[in-house]
Amino acid sequence: MAHPRTYHCEALTLKQAPFGEADLLVTLFSRERGKLRAVAKGARRSNSKLVGHLEPITHLRLALNRGRNLDYVTQAQVIDSFPAVKNDLQAIARGFYVAELVDGFASEAHQNLPLYDLALAALGRVAQDSNPDLVLRAFELGLLRVSGFMPELYRCVECGEGLVPERHRFSIDLGGVLCLECRPPSAQIRPLTLRALKVLRLLDRTSLADLHPLQIDDALARELKTLLESAVEFWLDKRVMSQSVLDQVAMEAPA
Amino acid sequence: MSTDPIPAASPSLSRLIRELHKLPGIGPKSAQRLAYYLIRLSDEEAFALADAINSVKRNVLFCEHCQNLTDTSPCAICTGPQRNREQMCVVEDPLDVVALERTHCYQGLYHVLHGAISPLNGIGPDQLKLKELFNRVSGGPVKEVVIATNPTLEGEATAMYIRRGLAGQDVRITHLARGLPVGGSLEYTDELTLSRAFQGRQEL
Repeated sequence: MAHPRTYHCEALTLKQAPFGEADLLVTLFSRERGKLRAVAKGARRSNSKLVGHLEPITHLRLALNRGRNLDYVTQAQVIDSFPAVKNDLQAIARGFYVAELVDGFASEAHQNLPLYDLALAALGRVAQDSNPDLVLRAFELGLLRVSGFMPELYRCVECGEGLVPERHRFSIDLGGVLCLECRPPSAQIRPLTLRALKVLRLLDRTSLADLHPLQIDDALARELKTLLESAVEFWLDKRVMSQSVLDQVAMEAPA
Repeated sequence: MSTDPIPAASPSLSRLIRELHKLPGIGPKSAQRLAYYLIRLSDEEAFALADAINSVKRNVLFCEHCQNLTDTSPCAICTGPQRNREQMCVVEDPLDVVALERTHCYQGLYHVLHGAISPLNGIGPDQLKLKELFNRVSGGPVKEVVIATNPTLEGEATAMYIRRGLAGQDVRITHLARGLPVGGSLEYTDELTLSRAFQGRQEL
């Protein structure tokens, strides 16, 4: 049976780019079909019925028409525009960071419900949590988990033995913690403090929606940030563009 | 089989098609059509186009004050005797200056940022003419900065960054109104625009 010409889906807008004279090319991460790119005809005109609905970081209900190469957005209704994210400069930068990582890890036309729920949970909390950076760390670890790149946190990735506290290191390319005895050649090994390992295990056991505020000092926050950002970039295999903007905006933020 | 993706009868023509193909929105077929159109033009018209491209590349520069594109620096707007030097309107692109000038309702100066903060494209505050803006405002005659960045998420982020950068300066910071477009429809307006239109409602 032929597919119907029109279909409906629920989606998160990840990014948009000008297309043709007055159209927009929108990258969406849909609940039903994974990542898809669609054209919104005339959406750059100020009186278009779609204008404003397709801004990045918006949760939508959409109607689309199938096209030969790209589908066309015909209707859009906002479910959540994440106003708290959009009313603060640092929250916007964090929102873009989440959107870029979802765009990088999501596959086209391949449903990924755990990633969809994770992205919505992260955007829902990133502007309202007392520790938004920890929300980003939980998001990064969750992203690695739902994409099949979850680092091993309980046993040595090389010999499989359980870890002895304070006697462990971390290797991003081997995918987890290493005991001090294992020294695989050519692996990139970095130190990992016990405190950081404990936070990683806590984030592993807790869903983002259930994450409780956790007070962590600057040194630990930096260690977790460097580790998880490096792991994400390693598996993504490209630079995360929004990261430098996020870092700069955070650095210049008034105390 | 030819390896040239854009084969043509003459190497010069191939080169022209290749150059036109680099322009935004121009595919190989459109490039071919434009190239054949240029060949059919009279010498006078074709050389006028070549001369215009030549001239724009040689003569157009950034105005030392407002960063707009101009042939002479400072530009005509910055040196205009009728201009209100106490008002400065900050826009993303030179085309925004043209759009605002068409309204004839603003007589102040401009500052062109040449983009907006766009984290997904790696464009941060350092890639924009923001330092120049902050330098112009501090210690200058400007009493009001009108932020006229686009009402997109990138434009809003840029506006917030400017507001943060100008905090503590003795200037009034305003923002173009957000709301319903002329000819628009309430039914199809998104919640964010509608709520801002409601917040900015005016006495009749």
